[in-house]
Amino acid sequence: MKKIRTLKISKDTSSHHIKFNAMASACEVIIETRDRHIAQQVAECVTAEVWRVEDKFSRYDNNSVCSKINTSAGKQVSIDEETYLLLNFAEQCYQLSAGLFDISSGVLRKIWSFDALSGECKHFPTEKEVEEMVSLVNWESVVFDQNSIHLPRDMEVDFGGIGKEYAVDRAILLAKKITDVPILVNLGGDMAVTGPRLNNQAWQVAIEHPDSEALGQKQDMIIALNQGALATSGDARRYIMREGIRYGHVLNAKTGWPILGAPRSITTAAPQCIQAGILATLALLQGQDAEQFLNEQEITFWARR
Amino acid sequence: MNNINSQAKKLKKINLKAALSLASSALLGTSVANSSEVQGKAVDEWQFDSAFLLYSEVDRVSAGEVIIAGTKGFNNDEVLTLKLTIDALTGASANGAVAQPNAQTFTRPSGNGQYVTPAGDTPLDDTFHDTRVQLNSQWTQPLTDNVTGSVGGHLSKEYDYLSLGVNGNLAYDFNRKNSTVSMGLSYFYDKFTPEGGIPKALSSMLVGDSSSPDWDSDFANTRVGDSDNKTTTDMLVGFTQVINRRMITAFNYSYSMVDGYLTDPFKIVSVLNSDGIAQDYIYESRPDKRVKQSTFMQAKYHFDNNLLNTVADVTYRYMWDDWGISSHTVDTRFTIPVKSTSYFEPHVRFYQQSAADFYQPYMDDGQARPRFVSADYRIGEMTAVTVGAKYGMLHNGENELSFRLEYYRQMPTNGGFSEPSALNSQDVYPVVEAIIAQVTYSF
Repeated sequence: MKKIRTLKISKDTSSHHIKFNAMASACEVIIETRDRHIAQQVAECVTAEVWRVEDKFSRYDNNSVCSKINTSAGKQVSIDEETYLLLNFAEQCYQLSAGLFDISSGVLRKIWSFDALSGECKHFPTEKEVEEMVSLVNWESVVFDQNSIHLPRDMEVDFGGIGKEYAVDRAILLAKKITDVPILVNLGGDMAVTGPRLNNQAWQVAIEHPDSEALGQKQDMIIALNQGALATSGDARRYIMREGIRYGHVLNAKTGWPILGAPRSITTAAPQCIQAGILATLALLQGQDAEQFLNEQEITFWARR
Repeated sequence: MNNINSQAKKLKKINLKAALSLASSALLGTSVANSSEVQGKAVDEWQFDSAFLLYSEVDRVSAGEVIIAGTKGFNNDEVLTLKLTIDALTGASANGAVAQPNAQTFTRPSGNGQYVTPAGDTPLDDTFHDTRVQLNSQWTQPLTDNVTGSVGGHLSKEYDYLSLGVNGNLAYDFNRKNSTVSMGLSYFYDKFTPEGGIPKALSSMLVGDSSSPDWDSDFANTRVGDSDNKTTTDMLVGFTQVINRRMITAFNYSYSMVDGYLTDPFKIVSVLNSDGIAQDYIYESRPDKRVKQSTFMQAKYHFDNNLLNTVADVTYRYMWDDWGISSHTVDTRFTIPVKSTSYFEPHVRFYQQSAADFYQPYMDDGQARPRFVSADYRIGEMTAVTVGAKYGMLHNGENELSFRLEYYRQMPTNGGFSEPSALNSQDVYPVVEAIIAQVTYSF
């Protein structure tokens, strides 16, 4: 199936704006130049890279490397260097989080499904269902090296927790090779900049309030970003109501149950988007202690409860 | 043992950030060194600074001050700042008279009652107490790419004092924002309504039987009105230059004109006989104009690792006015980072001032009455030193809690006045000492 993908370029007095869709998100690139030629080059390069990463690592795409691994039925699959590096990164996150972050935890979604419109959990699983499913979450049993991966039968890997952030960092790297003009890459709220804007001004970045579509709209938060990246973890629209308790959508990979007491969203700043993303996710996994965790790590963050 | 464990735990936690940085560098093929920079801060939410300050002079004035300031940034780099300051002042303040070998009786500024200063003590008026509420607002916004404009208002109200002010500033950046010239203009209107009214300059303080039927009318004869006012116009030009990545310098010149009632209605001057014994106390008198000028220089230097990444901030100010007062101020701070989230900041300030031409610690009763005279130690010759330190802790990269403790010592000196015999054993130029303690929290 050939995908139809489009990008829109517009310009204002000082910059070019590119809008496109990728990874189920609205994406944008701001290139602070009036030079249409440079903007065009950056636009093509960034969108091509983001779509490439999406195609390669999306678990929804049957032709992706991810799907190839997930449908291997316990057989060894050969992988390229980039896949190895991403798996290696996931491995380190697993180690650093003592198993809380596990890219094999995607199967849990089969029992915890959320209604796309209302955000509510359609079916509250039984303890038995959770127990069965969590037995398929076990990164330790995955064996991989530079050339191949062996994923036990019925298990799945999901690059969703790192893919978008990885694409942001890749896009920034490639864009920097093309030009020195200031560029911002924003893939659905995960973003990075090549540096400050012209005249050394900071980029003004609006972070949507988790409740912004609710009544009495809460204001977006504006962050001035000079350097580095921002990533936001958490989605207040996905939740589970059960006997009056609101469970967040963040699942504990070790138990298979939702994490209790986590903030509704966390935005962190880090030199690279992939770090910011992991830090925000790891913080959410700390539940009630999310803010304390980030404070102890001396990380700049904004949490919303 | 526990301590070691928590240390180890902390070490492990700190390493997470470094480990992630390594891991992402391996993934992206970038160098770790290049990826250490990140600068982000929230701008749209109100940023608050709060402070509580205690100022306590030994045996004299104590003041408590609460400040709450809010700053809000808007989308196009506009910034609104609102600041509320409330201070409460109590205690005793020198009335200007000189210490004597005998007890002295003074009339309170209100005319309601008298107070006695024991022999050998510096006369202090202990009725000093007031609460001041001050409100400042400032709006700053970019006007063009290189020009920033700012306007502000000021309101301050005390029981017997009202101050209103407006200001406007323009700053122009050039040389790729490495240089900035700025100019500012401000205008203040102050109205003083002291209890007991405005005393007639150079008239004698009425002392005696305050229950006598003539007291009120006699006291009224020493008064010229209920209130008086003054206006202040300040002009400032400044130049800021970034020298390099580590150093920034600033130069300012300011010109200030004050017109109106500049006399302190609470201050008196002792009139002594040839032995040095007080015969009379007269209300002080100051000119109704003052032109002040000052130059200011600042250098900030950020040292590297070898000097613990210390930031040194040194300023020098030279001020002079047409009353004959000139002063030098050297203010030095060293901000020394302690780990990555706290800092220690020693502070030393040195101040030296020459006296106003009309300053006299006391008068001689044979002396012709001058047009202007004041014995207020604050416009006499003096040296003052402040030493202290601040410790600040950063929380979540932007919330800051800090503690400041300082010692202030003001040492008035004799600017060449001869002392009659009765003053030989008196402390004519008493030292003022104070402790300043402050807690601030920014969030």
